[in-house]
Amino acid sequence: MKVLLVDDEQKFAVMLAKRLALRGIQADVYFSGEKALELVQQGNRFDVAILDVKMPGIGGIELKQRLQELDEQMKFVFLTGHGSKMDYAAGTHEAENYLPKPLKIDVLIETLNRLTEGQPGVSDIDG
Amino acid sequence: MTESLNKFPGAMWPQFHRKNDEHLNPYYTFQDYRQTWGMTIFILMMTALLPLVVMTLIYYQLIETSINTESLLRTERLASNARRAVTFFLEERLAALTFTVNEMGYDQLTNPGHLSEVLRNLKLGFGGLTDLSVIADSGTQVTYAGPFNLEGKDYSNQPWFMECQQHSACVSEIFSGYRDVPHIVVAVKSMRPDGRLFVLRATLETERLIQALSSYKTGEHADIFLVNRNGLLQTPSQFYEGESHHMNIPLPAYSDRTRAVMSTDRNGQPILIGYAFIDTTIAPTSFLLMVVKQKAGMMKVWLDLRSNINWFFGVSALIIAIVITLTSTVMVNQIFQADRQKAETMVAAERNCQLASIGQLAAGVAHEINNPLALINETAGYVKDLFTIKQQYKEDPDLLEHIDSIIDAVERCGTITRQLLGFARRFDVQNQPIDLNEMVADVINFHKKEAEYRNIKIHVDIPETIPLIETDRGKLQQIILNLVNNAFQAIANGCFLDIRAEMDGPEHVRLFIRDNGCGISEDHLNKVFEPFFTTKKEGQGTGLGLSITYGLVQKLHGNITVQSKTGQGTTFVVTLPVQIKKESQS
Repeated sequence: MKVLLVDDEQKFAVMLAKRLALRGIQADVYFSGEKALELVQQGNRFDVAILDVKMPGIGGIELKQRLQELDEQMKFVFLTGHGSKMDYAAGTHEAENYLPKPLKIDVLIETLNRLTEGQPGVSDIDG
Repeated sequence: MTESLNKFPGAMWPQFHRKNDEHLNPYYTFQDYRQTWGMTIFILMMTALLPLVVMTLIYYQLIETSINTESLLRTERLASNARRAVTFFLEERLAALTFTVNEMGYDQLTNPGHLSEVLRNLKLGFGGLTDLSVIADSGTQVTYAGPFNLEGKDYSNQPWFMECQQHSACVSEIFSGYRDVPHIVVAVKSMRPDGRLFVLRATLETERLIQALSSYKTGEHADIFLVNRNGLLQTPSQFYEGESHHMNIPLPAYSDRTRAVMSTDRNGQPILIGYAFIDTTIAPTSFLLMVVKQKAGMMKVWLDLRSNINWFFGVSALIIAIVITLTSTVMVNQIFQADRQKAETMVAAERNCQLASIGQLAAGVAHEINNPLALINETAGYVKDLFTIKQQYKEDPDLLEHIDSIIDAVERCGTITRQLLGFARRFDVQNQPIDLNEMVADVINFHKKEAEYRNIKIHVDIPETIPLIETDRGKLQQIILNLVNNAFQAIANGCFLDIRAEMDGPEHVRLFIRDNGCGISEDHLNKVFEPFFTTKKEGQGTGLGLSITYGLVQKLHGNITVQSKTGQGTTFVVTLPVQIKKESQS
């Protein structure tokens, strides 16, 4: 599974990437929407993008739309430090992909696995 | 009935209870409702009653002047008529004597039988004569006709006789003489054939004269009588007889015609005096005719009417006063109650808004704390991962770094909570010196993230020359926070917010908060400070923010204005005193 992690909180993003790495998930970390967009525009492909909702410049929601235009297959998980996930997508199927900060790593892993079901999983990469 | 009677004193002297509501004072329209109530009553009373009083007084004055003039005229006319009667009475008899003397001569008149005949004829023709006598130039009575036997009496010392020597005829004062009965002597002088003088004297009954005078008396308060030129009463006076038969009112000055004047009697009561000095064409007299009327008597009809008018006026004024007082009480009381309600609503709304801003603040802080917490969470999770997943922690040099990272994140949380506590504590603090720059920076800090996300440029320009402001920190903070909030809601992403300050004279500071957002339309501009005015959709805004801001600025003895153009942006200008004066604070 190839994961794109975008968050302006740099230390948080690095730490999360390390924890994912310990669990066998490789995540490319970027600290701004613009950089991430650039990368995908250059042709890099990811299975899942983990995006912080509130970022200076291009925010998570806008970034999702732009990335989706480039890669329809990409799945998205949103991280939010502001209130509950219900604030953002109350009642929609996307609500489940909004995870509040501070994060429970098991929930994130579970969400990632659910989104990538039927796709090459963690073990595949390891293997 | 009893209930409304109990309410009456309250309506006439309302209380406007304002106990324990000092906190509502800034929202009351009037400082002192009792004073407003008093002023309302006073102005209404003056407007209603003053013209009425003035008109009534002018009316009284006119009526009294016209009555006085009329009374004087009437009195003068009465005196003139009475004078003519008295003059005629005397002249008629003097003329008869003159005729007799000229017609008969001394010899015939000294004949007692003849003289008696003349007396009888005169009594028949004129009446009012008692006796008739001829007196020699020595003063001795020569011949007498009449009821008293006075022959041989000597009159040389009598004043009338001496006067007769000088003039061709004379009229005496009324006196009792030898016969002890009041009478008037009229006499004419003539010449004997031997060239010596003699006098024909007649005695007149005063009764006829008194009757003649009485017939001119009109009304019970009028008095008419004769006095001599020293004020000695000649005929009886009903009201004005004083000591030793002198009249007790001042003697008028001589005038050759009938006159009427105003005066007062010895009791100080106003009177009208008509008078005439009586002289006949044949002989002068010492009589002075007096017509005296009590003014009160003449004015009685008018005074009665005036008393009725006064009663009517008094009752009307009382009714007007009661109606005005009741109306004013009701009106001012309603204003007072409405103001009180408004003030209570405003205070409640202000409290709600304060709570709302604290809530907003708390939400902002929670968000700010969330990021460091997330980092702590990840770092601690990672350390735990190292313990559980990898068994290499003892030799791992990264471990210290991660722990430092945790401490760092905790430090960030600490900073934020300290700021929050500082902000909250400042709500309680009263006047203290405040650095405007620091305060604006504090407030901006809470919007920093949002500004970053929305790409809003915040430009602060508060020169160092702005002194410390002595004011209420909490209120000023809320004012700035509210205005900045307001600006953030008005502007789109990518706009700017400009906060600057300047001095306005030595005692005031002006703070400008300018945005280039959507602006406020001209229709709405003068309503933005009204409570519950909002252009937002229902449920999105209370419409209290700016009205509370306005109230807070007022509390700090400042003022707030707004300039705006649709589509170009809005500028709020807050003017605050550098120091709130102590006396105005209370």
